[in-house]
Amino acid sequence: METFLGKIKDRISVNFDLEKSSIDIEKKRVDVQIRKEQIPSILRYIKENMNFRHLMHASVVDWLEEGKFEVIFMLWAPKEKIRVFVRTKLDRENPVMENLDMIWPQLNTYEREFKEMYGIEFTGLVAPEEFILEDWDGPPPMRRDFDTEAYAKDVFSERIGREDAQDVRETIAKRSGEVIPDFAKKHSR
Amino acid sequence: MDYGIYQDKLTRIVSDIARSHSLWVLAYGTGCGAIEVPATMTSRYDAERLGVRGAATPRQADVLMITGYLTVKTLKRVIRVYEQMQDPKYVIGFGSCAINGGMYWDSYNTIKQLDLYLPVDVYISGCMPRPEAVLEGFAKLQEQIKAGEAIGATKYKENLDYYRGNQKKIIKNWNFPDYNW
Amino acid sequence: MKREKATTLYFGPQHPGITGNMMIRLKVEGDTIVKATTEVGYLHRAFEKLVEKRNWIQSFTLMCRFCVPEPDPVENTYARAVEMIAGIEIPERAKWIRVLILELARMSSLLLWHAGQGHSLGLYTMGQWSVGDRNYLLDLFEELTGARIYHMYVWPGGVRKDFPEGFEEKVLKTMDYFEKKLPDYDNLLFENSIFQKRTQGVGIVSPEQIIEHGVVGQPLRAAGIKSDIRIDDPYEVYDKLKFDVPTQTDSDIWARALVRREELRQSIRIIRQVIDKMPKGEVYTKLPNPQKWTIPAGDAFARTESVRGEVGMYLVSDGGNKPRRAHFRGAAYVHAVSLLEDVLVGANIADVSAIMNSLGTCPPEIER
Repeated sequence: METFLGKIKDRISVNFDLEKSSIDIEKKRVDVQIRKEQIPSILRYIKENMNFRHLMHASVVDWLEEGKFEVIFMLWAPKEKIRVFVRTKLDRENPVMENLDMIWPQLNTYEREFKEMYGIEFTGLVAPEEFILEDWDGPPPMRRDFDTEAYAKDVFSERIGREDAQDVRETIAKRSGEVIPDFAKKHSR
Repeated sequence: MDYGIYQDKLTRIVSDIARSHSLWVLAYGTGCGAIEVPATMTSRYDAERLGVRGAATPRQADVLMITGYLTVKTLKRVIRVYEQMQDPKYVIGFGSCAINGGMYWDSYNTIKQLDLYLPVDVYISGCMPRPEAVLEGFAKLQEQIKAGEAIGATKYKENLDYYRGNQKKIIKNWNFPDYNW
Repeated sequence: MKREKATTLYFGPQHPGITGNMMIRLKVEGDTIVKATTEVGYLHRAFEKLVEKRNWIQSFTLMCRFCVPEPDPVENTYARAVEMIAGIEIPERAKWIRVLILELARMSSLLLWHAGQGHSLGLYTMGQWSVGDRNYLLDLFEELTGARIYHMYVWPGGVRKDFPEGFEEKVLKTMDYFEKKLPDYDNLLFENSIFQKRTQGVGIVSPEQIIEHGVVGQPLRAAGIKSDIRIDDPYEVYDKLKFDVPTQTDSDIWARALVRREELRQSIRIIRQVIDKMPKGEVYTKLPNPQKWTIPAGDAFARTESVRGEVGMYLVSDGGNKPRRAHFRGAAYVHAVSLLEDVLVGANIADVSAIMNSLGTCPPEIER
């Protein structure tokens, strides 16, 4: 298995200028990192020439401290039963990437989500403006610097009684004037 | 002698008893609680013995069940659906998310307190409420209707400004028609 | 010459035939759909944002709520993703219990599908039977986990607790009941000529389209491709069990229905084997205090064969006590927006609900 994964890694690194690459034998997976300009060609190459037909998933991670967005494409070869993770880092200030939905049509849905949730622009993406959120005028909500709790407190009012109801048993007892014996108090939470 | 006032009262009592035994629930699964509604309606729990059954459209329905969390986007549709329903109409808030936000208390997209936006007659607590709890909720609603206490729709009409104000606070693009009740 | 003009019809969000809270804008000419546009987002609760604010065990309570009809595959996916990153070994017995739970969940969800598919074609009796019988499975869940729907049972490190006394016999008794009951389902649904005529040749998706869109599960198997994560990428103890993966070739609603019919029987077969072979022992690995539990930096993608195909979870840890990112891949995510729009073109309005049911469109896992 180790040599096989190594071979796959070598084959990719011969054809493309990789920034980082590694293999993980236990998870049966090859990780490669590449500049964003080469993403369409590497995905097409791995899909068509190396038979990784199935796009399992695509995801974005916000590395706020580094100032980068990491975009990950997770591919699967049904015959060889191996995973390849293709990663790229985008600048957080100006996240732009090329549209990829001609390689896998479902990437259209993913891109619409990333655009809305992270504010990543995909040049050439043809899709309606709104996907999940409606009339949203705040920052893209999945970015780590968006504070959902503060927003919820600000926009929606919280029902009174939630803040003191940390211990349900005690709160009910207090409201009804019930006396909880000492031995029960210990396990009430 | 004028019997009008007594007649009105008598009619109301009789019609309330009749209404309470024929509650048609709008088939609109607004959240995840909708999974226990089929179980309540089908053979084991058989809600139809209480006169509770599904209705396909808002105009034929009596009860609007808010099954769980409501996102802002759904709330807009739910208000529209509620206003399409004809009197008498009742609202049941289903699950802890409708009561106080439940486990989505800090989510930016779900409302935390349903009764700010719609008049709720009965809340059923739990995540998820069991079918027995749902049936008890319906029984409670029937009691309220018989006692003439389920007046959510009247409250909504009388205090429309209050509800509208709350609704407009979170629905940004307000494009509803104006009603003149 | 009669001139026909396209009318716009809104299918949902409030519609008795829709499989969840979503909307499809249909352009129809007469009774035929010429264009369909899906609109989702009615159920967006921002799970993935909330996960980032909660620690590893608090997040686990959110996981089962991703997709309502089948909470357990998602729990299992999350638990395995955490175990992969943290390098936790779970006891052998826990693996067997997980398989049992997953298969019981598969059965319960398939029964719900029977109801939905019957309901979408006007066969309400099917729902009365199958949802009624599903309660027997939920009773088992309730006895084991304490809840009917949201079990919160499969957690990182194993499962929450061992079987109560006499649970195995109860499971076997329930399986006996279902084996007795399944011929009745055949009589009612699959041998019903209305059901056959309404489903055969309707909602055809070409195998190329399915592969291109990355759709897995019953649609792929009904297109003649034998693919199942339980065999291709085995997890827990599925490699020690014997079961068949049913396939069909027609790729219409009928073919997908037959695949599901057979899957219900295979689940019973698996459950019997699990009860038979299950070893004794511990059911969970003790984990540190959840408030202080940190997991080394790393990422993992775990996936589980759910009832409607592959569900996956991409989990990233930055070394802290909270997940950096948990991105859930629903089985319906890849087809419900793009593929559904293509499949619906040319279908009748009355078939929309049946097509959605047979593809397994589940809105809560699209928008999360």
